[in-house]
Amino acid sequence: MTSTSGTLISEPPPAVAAPEPVERRRPRLADLGTPLLYLLSLSTALALAGLLIALVGQSPWDAANAMYDGSLADGAAIGQSIDQAAPLLLVAVGSVIAARAGIFNIGQEGQLLVGAAVGAAIALFTPGPGPLVLILALLGAAVGGALWAGIAALLFYWRGVAVVISTLLLIFVANQAVSYAVNSPSLLREKAVAGQVTTSQTDMLAESVWLPRIGEYPDFNIGAGIFVALVLAVGTSLVLVRTRLGFRLRMLGLNPKAAHRAGVGAVLVGGGALLASGAFAGLAGGVMLTGNGHRMQDGFADNVGFDGLLVALVARDKPMLAVPVALFFGALRAGGGFLSATGVPRYIVAVVTALMVLATVFPAAYAEVRRRRTAGAA
Amino acid sequence: MRPSPQASDTAVTASRPAPDTVGEPAGAPLDGPAEHTGAASVLTVPVVQLLGIGKRFGAVRACDDVSLRVRAGEIHGLLGENGAGKSTLMKILLGLVVPDTGRIVLRGSETTIADPSAAAAHGISMVHQHFSLVDRLSVWENVVLGDRGRVDRDRARKSVREVGDRYGLRVDPDACVEDLSTGERQRVEIVKCLRRDPGVLILDEPTSVLTLEESRELFTVLRRVVADEGKAVILISHKLDEIVHATDRVTIMRQGRVVARRATADTDVRALAREMVGRELSKWTAASAVGALDALIEPGTGEPTGGTAVLDVREPEAAPAPKPRPAAGEVRLRITDAHARAADRRPLLRGLSLEVRAGEILGIAGVEGNGQAALGDLLSSLLPLDAGRVEVCGGAVAAGRPGAMHAAGVGVVPEDRHVSGCVLDMSVAENLMMADLSSVTSRGLLSRRRMAERARRLIEEFEIATPSPDTPMRQLSGGNQQKVVLARELAGRPQVLVAAQPTRGLDIGAIEYMTERLHAAAREGIAVLLLSTELGEILTLSHRVAVIHRGAVVGEMDRADVDTERLGLMMGGQAA
Ligand SMILES: Nc1ncnc2c1ncn2[C@@H]1O[C@H](COP(=O)(O)OP(=O)(O)OP(=O)(O)O)[C@@H](O)[C@H]1O
Ligand SMILES: [Mg+2]
Repeated sequence: MTSTSGTLISEPPPAVAAPEPVERRRPRLADLGTPLLYLLSLSTALALAGLLIALVGQSPWDAANAMYDGSLADGAAIGQSIDQAAPLLLVAVGSVIAARAGIFNIGQEGQLLVGAAVGAAIALFTPGPGPLVLILALLGAAVGGALWAGIAALLFYWRGVAVVISTLLLIFVANQAVSYAVNSPSLLREKAVAGQVTTSQTDMLAESVWLPRIGEYPDFNIGAGIFVALVLAVGTSLVLVRTRLGFRLRMLGLNPKAAHRAGVGAVLVGGGALLASGAFAGLAGGVMLTGNGHRMQDGFADNVGFDGLLVALVARDKPMLAVPVALFFGALRAGGGFLSATGVPRYIVAVVTALMVLATVFPAAYAEVRRRRTAGAA
Repeated sequence: MRPSPQASDTAVTASRPAPDTVGEPAGAPLDGPAEHTGAASVLTVPVVQLLGIGKRFGAVRACDDVSLRVRAGEIHGLLGENGAGKSTLMKILLGLVVPDTGRIVLRGSETTIADPSAAAAHGISMVHQHFSLVDRLSVWENVVLGDRGRVDRDRARKSVREVGDRYGLRVDPDACVEDLSTGERQRVEIVKCLRRDPGVLILDEPTSVLTLEESRELFTVLRRVVADEGKAVILISHKLDEIVHATDRVTIMRQGRVVARRATADTDVRALAREMVGRELSKWTAASAVGALDALIEPGTGEPTGGTAVLDVREPEAAPAPKPRPAAGEVRLRITDAHARAADRRPLLRGLSLEVRAGEILGIAGVEGNGQAALGDLLSSLLPLDAGRVEVCGGAVAAGRPGAMHAAGVGVVPEDRHVSGCVLDMSVAENLMMADLSSVTSRGLLSRRRMAERARRLIEEFEIATPSPDTPMRQLSGGNQQKVVLARELAGRPQVLVAAQPTRGLDIGAIEYMTERLHAAAREGIAVLLLSTELGEILTLSHRVAVIHRGAVVGEMDRADVDTERLGLMMGGQAA
């Protein structure tokens, strides 16, 4: 220090110039990076799942094998996984559309059920050539889902009822309504055949209105549903990124005020997005009906609506990312189904799949929370 | 831009025993007037030292070997053009941005600041350039947000009042933030920060929405508190006048580097402007940029009176050549007897009427909160009318219907660009195009190529500093975000252009350009409506001035006939 006298530098050297013991930053999860984070959370989930299965007296190793056999081991299993993935993908893509418009539809489970019921009614009672009826049934399913979501849209834009709440509550209404229809002989319940007791399910659809399947039966074979879903996922992605409509929809979701200024009507575009997401869920129901079970019964929806929602969440609202995620979830569902057939209690299977789902959701959710934290502080 | 001579001197490396010699340009005086007292004084120990800080964002060097030293007891100005790296530097100090290189020394000991809570533990607190309030919550709730422990409602409300009284930032603790004007929101932000009683207070363009009066009062009190309690304040502002009045020392940045350090007492507005921009500015711009109001009043219109505190009496500069009065065109915008209310039934507009003709700039003068925001919202289709009508080019327009005003040919540069002016999570190109999508779509399909092309043109024309058109809007510096909105609305070739606080947040070079653009717009025959709480801006730009008070226009005059006394009285609500 040469000059302490005058105008240049009058700051005396600090009393303690040597750096104090430097504070070290606490290591954070975020430092791991995304791939490692996924690895960590998946292995944690696997360990927990193994522990659980061991606790109920089964061999975790056998269980893992069963999961694998049911989802990936051979062509048939892979086909199963893909079949499971199709409706998940449809639901997910629908959720993405709503979410991008800033609307949180969580009632896909109900929309799917209503869609399937409408599809069943059309498929069972419409005369005509099979392919035409099939197409009508699928379209009807989409319309049914859209209308069911439309109730929530109406409640929101007319009365201001939050979409999250109305769509959720409408699931229960849909459950009751569809269950009633399936149980009423005058509606969808299977027609009595002399000397046979009817159960609460619909008649089997005529084979001519089943979704075509590709491949040989015992080996690899998949329903056409996945192609429908893929085409729609690609289409949605293109619409969102490449078209004026998609631009306006995204704008609405990201800044409703700026969108209003630029002429994007919240009711029209936002309501439209909600209807579209309902239509996708309804179509998922139609695909499940015409592609797999070929009849409706209690428990038809089987959480596909909720799982599809999770697919969208993990895929961070990107339609193309939803494709691999849906396949993964489909494999989980197929494997889980197989596992329950090997004697592991059903509820444990449910917990195991839930753990896997959590493991895949966690890194995305964690990243989102961190993003909000820093954005909120900035 | 050419490298500055001073910048090259800053590369001195750290020598351990005296880390505080790093990076001081040899020729720059470092001391505020207060510091000559003695070496042993506690006041001279730097509270904050940022040493050799570097930060890159991709190809952009936001900070490049920046050193900043702030002492206890001083208000330190940080100056620089839009995108110079000021906010980034402060975010580094606050732990929001991790620097690539450099050290932070707090009160003599080297420190790593991992996140804002760590910064808060060190007593560092910041008022950000953009609001971070929760609209739906009340003022006191926003103020205690982020506190730990039990929330004591009455204590919180009391402290809001106390802090407000102390610093001259009065806000009603029970008001809902949603209903506040931009200026009031800014006050809440500052109160929130001050309530924590920070040892180091960072203010990032806090006064761009405060009145001159308010900012004067704030800085008078701050200066006292800072000196008495050994605190430190870092102030970022584009208002050079304010910098000169409020600070002890300034550090000037250009393109990520420090180009000068000055004791405020040894410099003046003109010199600061020159060093910041790297060239001489026209007298006229400089005067308007710093709010030297008297320079704007033609000689002979009388002394500014003490009647309104907004007026700033200073040595008069050359008055501009009187603007030729434009040939009056046809009426482009006519608002007749407009009445409107807020969601809580509070009246916003009470019978407002005005006309703007093609080719003229009508300036709306008034104290903030008298309906300017509502008028802006009305012309942005965001506010429906209870009564009255809006006509654009002779045709009635449905107020409040989405996009109706826009479709009728009204372009709006809204007051708060972040709220309704742009979409932060879309790209710069998308933001530039969003008002005029049809020009880049054919049969519903967007043409990426045409979009990028047009965006690139606007970026060049308006000198928007962005790495590429595809950069997310969020990553631009505050001033450059403003420029994007301005560019979009000006390029839209509207019939009527509404510009609310068009120069807020812009550096003086950009203000000069803005001023030119608004004049050019009027020359091209656009009817321009200028909403501004800064009288200087109104007087610089307008051909005609209307005064707004309590939601109605209470008087009008030609720019040439402006008499500040009468204007002041009218703004205060007295008939004149
Ligand atoms: N998160 C980010 N990602 C990428 N680039 C960034 C980011 N934040 C800032 N930048 C870039 O760094 C540069 C400096 O930005 P900064 O916000 O510090 O400017 P500033 O001096 O505060 O300007 P203004 O007066 O306009 O607010 C700009 O070019 C900006 O685009
Ligand atoms: Mg900034």
